[in-house]
Amino acid sequence: MLDSAGADFIPLTIDSYTRQNQYDIAAELLERSEEKQSSFLNGYPLVVHGWELTRELYRDLNKPVSLRHGTPDARLLVEVALASGIAEIEGGGLCYCIPYSEGFPLDRCLLYWQYVDRICAVHSTDEAPIHRESFGPLTATMVPPAIALAVQVVEALLAAEQGVLSFAASFGQTGSTIQDIATARVLRTLIRRYLDRFDFGHVRSYLVFHQWMGQFPTERSKAAALIACAAQNACVIGADKIVVKTVDEALGVPDPEVNADAVESVRYVFDRFRWVEPVTSTSIEAEIDLIESETVGILEAIFDLPGDVFWESVHRAFQTGLIDVPYSPHADNANRLVSMRDANGSIRIKDPGHVPISEGDLKREHGLLALREDLDGADPSFRRLLHDIGIMA
Amino acid sequence: MSQERIVLGVIGDDIHVVGNRIIQLALEESGYRVFNLRARNRPEHFYQAALEVNAQAVFVSSLNGEGEYWCSDFRKPFIDLGIPDTLLYIGGNLVVGKRDRGDVLRLFKQYGFDRVYHQEPDIGVAIADLRNDLGHGKAKR
Ligand code: B12
Repeated sequence: MLDSAGADFIPLTIDSYTRQNQYDIAAELLERSEEKQSSFLNGYPLVVHGWELTRELYRDLNKPVSLRHGTPDARLLVEVALASGIAEIEGGGLCYCIPYSEGFPLDRCLLYWQYVDRICAVHSTDEAPIHRESFGPLTATMVPPAIALAVQVVEALLAAEQGVLSFAASFGQTGSTIQDIATARVLRTLIRRYLDRFDFGHVRSYLVFHQWMGQFPTERSKAAALIACAAQNACVIGADKIVVKTVDEALGVPDPEVNADAVESVRYVFDRFRWVEPVTSTSIEAEIDLIESETVGILEAIFDLPGDVFWESVHRAFQTGLIDVPYSPHADNANRLVSMRDANGSIRIKDPGHVPISEGDLKREHGLLALREDLDGADPSFRRLLHDIGIMA
Repeated sequence: MSQERIVLGVIGDDIHVVGNRIIQLALEESGYRVFNLRARNRPEHFYQAALEVNAQAVFVSSLNGEGEYWCSDFRKPFIDLGIPDTLLYIGGNLVVGKRDRGDVLRLFKQYGFDRVYHQEPDIGVAIADLRNDLGHGKAKR
């Protein structure tokens, strides 16, 4: 159905038990769902279904299938996926651990993803590479662009080290069009710059835009408007691929019709509102400058950390709070960074915690925050946080 | 007067913690003492914690819909442990997929919850209810 609605790739989303390697429970719930004719699984239990059935499922489809999961230890899952003929694997040692796990040790996760990157590389040829894609939205909640971009560059380098030939970096719609445009520009520049710098010039890189991944409006009319505007932003930034949400996002797992509708509406925006010229303004240029400076600062600090191999430095960066993701469920996440929205809705760093943001950059962040007027309202602070989190809801 | 104690946590293999953080803050700002079990909890984590800290209320969240699987007969161990009057609240996206709201509320009441907040974004409502329920003591139920 997604196919006929005009989707260029078909996502396969995995259930939350399989993501935590709880295959027994996934099998039991699959049985129960079939018995009771009502779903107890919030995604497709690929390991339980196995590769033969899955390959059969996609046999007549001429489009790439993209594996979306959130699994810290995805070794078996990705083996089954590759055996099923799936050629796009989302995830990474950071992006599928820090937002998706409450205690999976990050060093082991980085090693397991090294294995995933390697088997993807082994099964790649120049003509038919297995695509690796990172998950830039992270927790999709108040994540400053510089944090997301640093994670993207790190994962691109980790994948390239293992021989991956095709890598897509991604980020989630921020809630501010200014920041979306700026983030896309910096991401594209930095991924290329760092891949080239470490002699991975042959690795092809792409840009993926995730429509708003945070708290969605419950009213379908508003959700539809958000989806259309997000599609327009994807046009403006020239994304190579857009991951689409549905009007039922806040209400529950969407059924196939609703998914097809979402793809059709995005397709409509793409066809009717094609954007060709780069958009710019002084605030966009200032935002680009700030995000780039911050991201480079974080990356250089990670490179400077001790470690025999790169992933060890990355692990240390997480342990010491150089990488700090707001609202991460992970027990080892520093949770020192405090972010807030400015008057334009852009995500600002109020307190960087241990994230190496230079004094000059922090001054710029605070300068932009100062323009927001309601910061000292009498509201209890949880209401202010809810406002910033749910800016699109 | 000593603070009233609330055990808070997300049930199942669910890692959605945004609401969890906000609820902790909202409860604290309303004067309660919160024991936060955070993400990925089995039912026993809740009743064991409730017993240990002598909690007046337990706040369970399920955002990814696993609640339906884990919460059946949620009240029973509380009764078995001799703490049958603990207030049990649950909120979030309680089932997988879309289902009639009334059915969802009935299902979780049947599981033994005092109050059920399915897709109710304003935590302020539950906190007002909590104040009310605690004021009435056990006579309420
Ligand atoms: C952000 C988000 C994520 C982030 C989470 C980051 C993190 N670590 O927390 C990421 C991207 C990692 C993520 C992952 C997944 N997600 Co998600 N996610 C969301 C999203 C967009 C917003 C949730 C949120 O943060 N809301 C903001 C907070 C403030 O609101 P809240 O959580 O609802 O909590 C408030 C109220 O509900 C209430 N409340 C909550 N609990 C309780 C308890 C009590 C007692 C009371 C009184 C009140 C109460 O008070 C809170 C504060 O106001 C929702 C959809 C939506 N709502 O728009 C989907 C959603 C919850 N996710 C969903 C799913 C399925 C998943 C995945 C399984 C992946 C997938 N298949 O797509 C994985 C999770 C893996 C796992 N192990 O659980 C589904 C759940 C479907 C269902 N129940 O039928 C949703 C509804 C999206 C959808 N339509 O498919 N997700």
